[in-house]
Parts: sequence; structure tokens; C-alpha cells
Amino acid sequence: MELDTFIKHFEDAVEDLESGILTPETSFKDLKSWDSLAVLTVTDAMDMEYAVTLRKADFESAATVVQLFEIVQSKLTK
Amino acid sequence: MCNDFVTPENWAFTSSTHWPSLKSMPKCRFLDVRITGLVTCVPPHEKCIDDELELFGGNMQQLKRLKKTIGLHKRRVVDADTTAADLCEQAARRLIEETAVELAQIDAVICVTQTPDYSQPCNAAVLHGRLGLLKDCAALDVNLGCSGYVYGLWLAHTMIASGGCERVLLLAGDTISRLVHAKDRAVAPLFGDGGSATLIERSAGAPAAFFSLQTDGSGYDKLMVPAGGARQPCSAATSLVAEDAAGNIRSPENLFMDGAEIFNFSITEEPKSVTELLEYASVEAGAVDFYVFHQANRYILGNIAKRLKLDPAKVPMETVERFGNQSSASIPSAICGELSATLAGCDSAQMLLSGFGVGLSWASALVEFRDLSVCELIDYTS
Repeated sequence: MELDTFIKHFEDAVEDLESGILTPETSFKDLKSWDSLAVLTVTDAMDMEYAVTLRKADFESAATVVQLFEIVQSKLTK
Repeated sequence: MCNDFVTPENWAFTSSTHWPSLKSMPKCRFLDVRITGLVTCVPPHEKCIDDELELFGGNMQQLKRLKKTIGLHKRRVVDADTTAADLCEQAARRLIEETAVELAQIDAVICVTQTPDYSQPCNAAVLHGRLGLLKDCAALDVNLGCSGYVYGLWLAHTMIASGGCERVLLLAGDTISRLVHAKDRAVAPLFGDGGSATLIERSAGAPAAFFSLQTDGSGYDKLMVPAGGARQPCSAATSLVAEDAAGNIRSPENLFMDGAEIFNFSITEEPKSVTELLEYASVEAGAVDFYVFHQANRYILGNIAKRLKLDPAKVPMETVERFGNQSSASIPSAICGELSATLAGCDSAQMLLSGFGVGLSWASALVEFRDLSVCELIDYTS
């Protein structure tokens, strides 16, 4: 699982997000288009791409894109 | 209701040596039972999300995203004087008229609802009286929501297969719009209302009907109305509204939904449930004519269809955008509203029906529709 690919999936999942705007250190909750719908679409994308189920607590504990990446990665290895 | 409870020879459950025993969940099949007709009644008053920009803080972009992705659009809601029982009664009257069933031939009435007229007595008893059914008729409620229609069908099949009933009237309806707080964005734009009536009867030679029923009670608090029951009776305190972290406003007397958890539950359990039922029935996915899921929202429906690799043309999805999420009435609403013309034009149709939601509870049925006397969607008239 590569960080670049993860970011691409994240970008694709969130509506109205310009390509290339995200970096590993982006605080995704500060994005203008981050809302409860984005939580659903990112959850969906992670399930489809990595067969990983993200829970509400996962989104709460991650502040940046890379932190969410690490959570998905940790679930992958379990 | 007849007193002859002799078990007919044609009944079969998973313990049968001819069918796989799946101990992890109740699955069963029935022979010689069929659905004769169904009618769904919707309230005439329509609300549209386009008129509710204020609910989204004037954020047109967010409203557009919700419309496009979730499929939120219009919904039909009752006025303060109309209940689920009223909608079900009108559906039942039309069903009785169109099927020409005599009241004396109805052995049981099941009412599936979470919005009954009273905490006591049950809606089924009230409607039994309003419809003028005979005293030799069982009447009971089933307290389930989005999975409730399939549970009700299973119960009706069980009652007939046991030999206790010849005909069962299944009423399934809810007015969830009356439970949501108007300023709770997580639920207010989603829910509509509806009531349905379905006639199920013994019919020699009817093809097998297959059911699976499942529950995860550990998730009971993901979709619930916390106050109003014995655990937390309504009081001055429970009527007070509060704002949650996401800015949604509601009181404990309103419906609460953890959208992310319900989404995870839906996309995880539903495809599995459908796949396992098809395996149990030894039916290829492509042999099913229509997959009618509980009309939660278009995003969830699309997701389930995608995961099951279904042909979108076989999966009705427009009902939720026309009427909203109608809880226990959504499956019959989708059948009556989207498929009635198609069903009228074909000899028979293999239907997979699947509901999921509050409980957490989910259930799937594989049934063949043949020679329906009626399959109609009507507007409620007061």
C-alpha cells in the first residue's frame, strides 16, 4: 500500500476536491468539502480499495492524511 | 383462523436433509405459499430538499453534493392528523377490493410498524376493528423498521405453512418523518412516510420461497429513538433539544442515526446476506429478475448493487428520491411504484427482497411473483 495511491483514492472519494491539493500533512478536516458525506465516501473508498472498514473513531483520531493512511495500513496488516 | 394445526407435508426448514444446514443463521424455505397482491399508500404532501437550503446553513454546494451523491430529493410526509395505521388501512381497503378476498377468509393480520397509534393496543388490533375483520382472526404487531417487511412476509409464510392460516394480511408502514427533528440534517431530509398491505395465501403448486433473517443487537444504539419507552419515559427533560458536534439539533424523543455506522453495516452485511441466500436457494444471481432493497438512499443502494455486481436495471432506486426512506413500507413502495407495469406484463418474476436497518436487523427473501391481482401505488385521501 503506497501513500501516493492512498492520497489519490482519498482525492477521488471527496467531491469537489481538486487533484493535487492534498499532501500527507493536510489536515483533511479543515478542507472546505469535508463533511459527513465525505466521511461516507472515504469509508466506501477504503473498503473498496483495501477491504478496510474505517470507524468513526478512526476519523476522530486522525488529524492529517498520513495519519489516516497509517490507520488504514495498520488495519491491513491485522 | 382455523384450529387445524396439523403440519402440512410440504413444509421445510434448514434441518431438511435436502437443504444445506446453515447453523450460523436462520434460513428456511416454504412451498405452496404465494403473494397474491400488494398496495402501497403514500401521503400526498411533498417536501423537496431544494426548499430546505436553510437546513444546510445556506451552503448550496453541500446541498448539491447531497442531491448528487446520496440522491436526496423529494419525500412524501404525513400531516399531524395522519398515522401509519391510516395509510395501511387505505392500502388494505384497496387490496381487499382488488383481490376480492372476503373478510371471512383472512385468518391473521400482521402489522409491521415502529410508529403505532398507541403504545397499547397494537396497530393490528386497531386495524382489525377498522377493517371489520372477523373474530376468528389473529392480530399482532411486529416492532421492526427497515427489515420489517421481509420479516412480516416470513412470519406470514410461517403461519400458513404451519397449517394455522390460509390467508394472512400483512400491513407494513411507518411515519418516521414525525420522529425526526426538522433541524437534524442527518435524518430530516431522508425520511418519508408510507403504508402498505400485502395478501399472502396458501396456493398449491406455488414455487419455493426462501428467507434468511439476521440481527446484530450490539448495534441497537446506532439508529434509535432513546426516549419514550419504559427505559427513558418522556419527560420535560427528554423534550429539550441539544446541538451535537456536527451542528444537528434534536431531543432524546427524536430519531438519532449514526450515519457512518449504518453505512458500514449496510455495505458489509447486505451483500453477504444476499449472496448467502442465493447460495442456499441454489439460484444464480443472473436468474433473479429484480433485486428490491430497502430504499435507504441511492448511495447505499448503488453501493450494494456495485458490490454484488448487479445490473442496475434490476435494482429499483428511484423510490427513495420520490418518496424518501419509508422504513418498513419502502420495499412494497418500490415494487408498486417502479415495477407494477413490468410485473403486469410478465407471467412470473423472481424477486429478491432485502431490508436492513434499525435493530440492527436485516432480512432477505427470494420469492416468485406470479399472477398478482393488484400491484398499485395510491395517494392517501383523508
